[in-house]
Amino acid sequence: MNRAGQHRSPELRGLELALLALPVAALPHAWHQPPWVTLLVAAAILLRTWLHLRDRRPPALGLMALLAAFAGAMTFLQYGTLFGQEAGTALLLVMMALKLLETRNRRDIVIGLFLGYFVVVTTYFFDQSLLIAAWSLLSAWLLTAALVQVHAGRALERWRLAKQSGWMIVHALPFMLILFLAFPRVQGPLWGDPQRDEVATTALSGELNPGDIAELLQDQTTAMRVQFHDTVPPPPAQYWRALVMTDFDGRRWQAEGGQSSIEVPEADDPDNVVAYTATLEPTRVRYLPVLDYPVSLPDNAEYRDNHQVIRDRRIVNRIQYDAEADLSRPPGGEEALSSSARERALELPPSAAPRSRAEVALWRATHGDDDRAIIQAALDRFAAAPYRYTLQPPTLAGDVTDQFLFETQAGYCEHYASAFAVLMRSAGIPTRVVTGYQGGEWMQRGEYLRLRNADAHAWNEVWLDGEGWIRVDPTAAIAPERIEAGIGGLTGGEGESVPDFLRRDGLGWVQQLRFGFEDWRDFARFRWESWVLAFDPERQRELFAHFGLDATDWRDVVTALGAGFGLLAVAALAWAGWRRPRRPLDAADRLLQRLSRRIERQQTGLGRHAHEPVVTWTRRIKAARPDLAPIVDAFAEHYNLARFAPARPDDQAGHLMALRRLAASDLRKPPVGQPAPRTT
Amino acid sequence: MRAGSLALHKRFRSQGQRLREGVIRWITRRHRDDGSEATLGRDRIYILPTRAGYTLLAILGVMLLGAINYSNNMAFLLTFLLVGIGHNAIWYTHRNLLGLKVSSLPTTPVFAGQPLSVSLRLEDTRGRDREALHLSIGEYTSVPVAVPARGQQVVSLPLPPLGRGVYRLPRQHLGTQYPLGILNAWSWLGLAAEILVYPQPVDPGAAHTGLGDEAGPQRRQEASTPDHIRPYRPGDPPGRILWKALARTGKLHIRETVAGGRDTLWIDWSSMPASDTETRLSMLCHQILAAEAEGRAWGLRLPDQILPPGQGPAQRERGLRALAEFRFEPIPLPIPETPRRTKE
Repeated sequence: MNRAGQHRSPELRGLELALLALPVAALPHAWHQPPWVTLLVAAAILLRTWLHLRDRRPPALGLMALLAAFAGAMTFLQYGTLFGQEAGTALLLVMMALKLLETRNRRDIVIGLFLGYFVVVTTYFFDQSLLIAAWSLLSAWLLTAALVQVHAGRALERWRLAKQSGWMIVHALPFMLILFLAFPRVQGPLWGDPQRDEVATTALSGELNPGDIAELLQDQTTAMRVQFHDTVPPPPAQYWRALVMTDFDGRRWQAEGGQSSIEVPEADDPDNVVAYTATLEPTRVRYLPVLDYPVSLPDNAEYRDNHQVIRDRRIVNRIQYDAEADLSRPPGGEEALSSSARERALELPPSAAPRSRAEVALWRATHGDDDRAIIQAALDRFAAAPYRYTLQPPTLAGDVTDQFLFETQAGYCEHYASAFAVLMRSAGIPTRVVTGYQGGEWMQRGEYLRLRNADAHAWNEVWLDGEGWIRVDPTAAIAPERIEAGIGGLTGGEGESVPDFLRRDGLGWVQQLRFGFEDWRDFARFRWESWVLAFDPERQRELFAHFGLDATDWRDVVTALGAGFGLLAVAALAWAGWRRPRRPLDAADRLLQRLSRRIERQQTGLGRHAHEPVVTWTRRIKAARPDLAPIVDAFAEHYNLARFAPARPDDQAGHLMALRRLAASDLRKPPVGQPAPRTT
Repeated sequence: MRAGSLALHKRFRSQGQRLREGVIRWITRRHRDDGSEATLGRDRIYILPTRAGYTLLAILGVMLLGAINYSNNMAFLLTFLLVGIGHNAIWYTHRNLLGLKVSSLPTTPVFAGQPLSVSLRLEDTRGRDREALHLSIGEYTSVPVAVPARGQQVVSLPLPPLGRGVYRLPRQHLGTQYPLGILNAWSWLGLAAEILVYPQPVDPGAAHTGLGDEAGPQRRQEASTPDHIRPYRPGDPPGRILWKALARTGKLHIRETVAGGRDTLWIDWSSMPASDTETRLSMLCHQILAAEAEGRAWGLRLPDQILPPGQGPAQRERGLRALAEFRFEPIPLPIPETPRRTKE
């Protein structure tokens, strides 16, 4: 089995390529694996390469077993298990490397390469970017090339391997596409909770506490991207409602899930409806940010009685949803506010904000029953100095409302929204706080709105009888540019530091270029995410519905797959037919074509039609141009002899020479007084 | 008990083999007699996954389960890409054989006990490079060969030594697993080629001394009487060139023994000092070779045929063939047919 010298045998042809392909496939894991895994894999591959170059035998089986046991023990020490995404991947990588190290025959290489495909798949546990997709293609290409070399029976030239395996991947792409779109999707997981070790993502928290959104404000990662179907609403109208907070304990606001579901209201005026598709990054929570005010929601989401939109399950993958909003109309205007709801929206701890209450009492005294005037008074108060908008407010101690309103007087949306709500509740106006996103960056390339976590915002809704919950944004009073132009509109006041990524104006060309590149990148990423990563059972159902099919009916699935593969087969046959080399025209045919072209140029309509027999053609010419009769008659005769008469080669040459002469003969003998009939 | 079960197992195995052989015979009934040339068309190329192919299928199944479980679209994409590659491998592997022209080359006769080899010529007519084709006959498989586009390649299969006789080429199997090794495409061929195995030469002198005395005087007598001079023709044994005449005339002449003349050596079945057929044939074989080495004219007397005297390569071949065919009906090469295992 293991004779000396066998390791360099033809059996191991392809090992070199495997020694290149497998590290390439494993490379993306280096960023996610503990260092010992990376080191072990690298060491095994380097050692095998060295042994191979030195024409040495692989390590003995006993040593390999020892190494494998060591790797298993290390994995167990690291993760406490050998299964699951992280431990499993580490183990797989180590096994792949050890398999390569102990490779003795062709079968070993093949197993190593199969493991390589697996290694590529496990990359997606950690990263699903477009870059990784491109890298995967490269890995698949190399692995396939190595597999081809292993089975080629001789050393193939590099370009030949590259071409062969490259075509294999290209030919597989249509299959991939059809199966991706039509293969029946079920909502995972099938077992366990696969999201357990998924990286937590930023999302709006269910609590509003001074400092919460501030963290998000520094976070430039994308929260969601939105494409509007027709109308793009103006920035001040883009309020993405996510969470509704009604309960206040004097310091902290808390979101409530709502008591029950309600119907989504119908749009008053269809012209006012804004339709859009949102691609939401995984948030691991259930709420969906929707544009105010929703009039149509995705099927798997419900509208709660506190006007919050809740999905049927946590959002653990990137999802896409279609919704519509009516920008003009606040929800729930028709009905009166139930007494319990009113009570809840007025609740204020008795000890909270005594100074503010005193101030509100003064407003009441001035404006009487006019709730609107009181709201305006509050907004006016914020609009006037010394209130200022800042992303780095001083910390608040004691009663947050009073301290903010009368002492620090500096803050951002959270502070204003919270203080405003307290003021309103003191005045007996039902109020709540809404958090979500506002603003965002309009991406010219791709025409979509990109909302970052930094675009998180908090505002208020007040209940006005007969009108419903009216949106009031106190931040707009103090920093209208925040609303007009989004968080990027902030220029940063005295000594304020605005996050780097927000500074887009007045930059050098290098920076401009960088941002241009960033835009491109985000566009590519967006397309990738919205077209590929967000394709889920829901989207598949919509796609099937597009063709009048039902994705949950297996017969329709079979129909779709059959249609897809049928089309593919037709395309492949057409391609094969087109590629089949046509019989090269022989010399006589070429001369016939030349003569025909020349006659056609002389007199249009006299060119030979593609399938016209030569005899018919000559007859046609003689009728129109008797002067050409000698030429074409001679040509036809020699043509027939050259093509169809079994002749000796020298006869053939004679006929061809005659044809050549005739095809080049002078055709300029103008027809005298003869009308040229146009034949078609 | 144990011996019994082993015997049972063996019986099943042999029955399975017989069944398998029957199935193959039924499948290949149309291609049993391909003559000297055959082109592999769609109707005679078969394809099945190899063990590695089933392994890959299992791996893809696990990948698909993972993709579903983790709702990972990129895992779906890669799995389906590999499914596509695997599926297309059917086409690639099949195409590696399709349209290949195979012809049998005449085999060089050998003496019994000498290793022989069978050669087929593979020719591409479709402008396509063919890789890793291997020819098998029974349990013997050649090394993989490649055929360049519009080119040809001879593939030789060394076979073990055989006993004296005339053999037919048994069913041939031309297979390939290129490019991925996950599928095995093959075709059965019934190309005809005659394999002659001459008897192993045995010196009758070594077996029986009487013969030497008999041959000795004849040879001397023959050497003293040049009976016919003619100009040299290519292929004439150099031992019979008249060097003196060359010196004299500047032209090559040779001395030829007239066929049927009194110097003709008769190699006779009945005079061989052995009783069993094969030994006699071996001795006759030796005599023919000896006569040819000496450049003598000779004739062969067998119980059922007489080869008229003559001399030279053609005569030698005629004589040896007569020995090989002697009381021997052509049979397929006796090559054990082992259950074909697809190799990874």
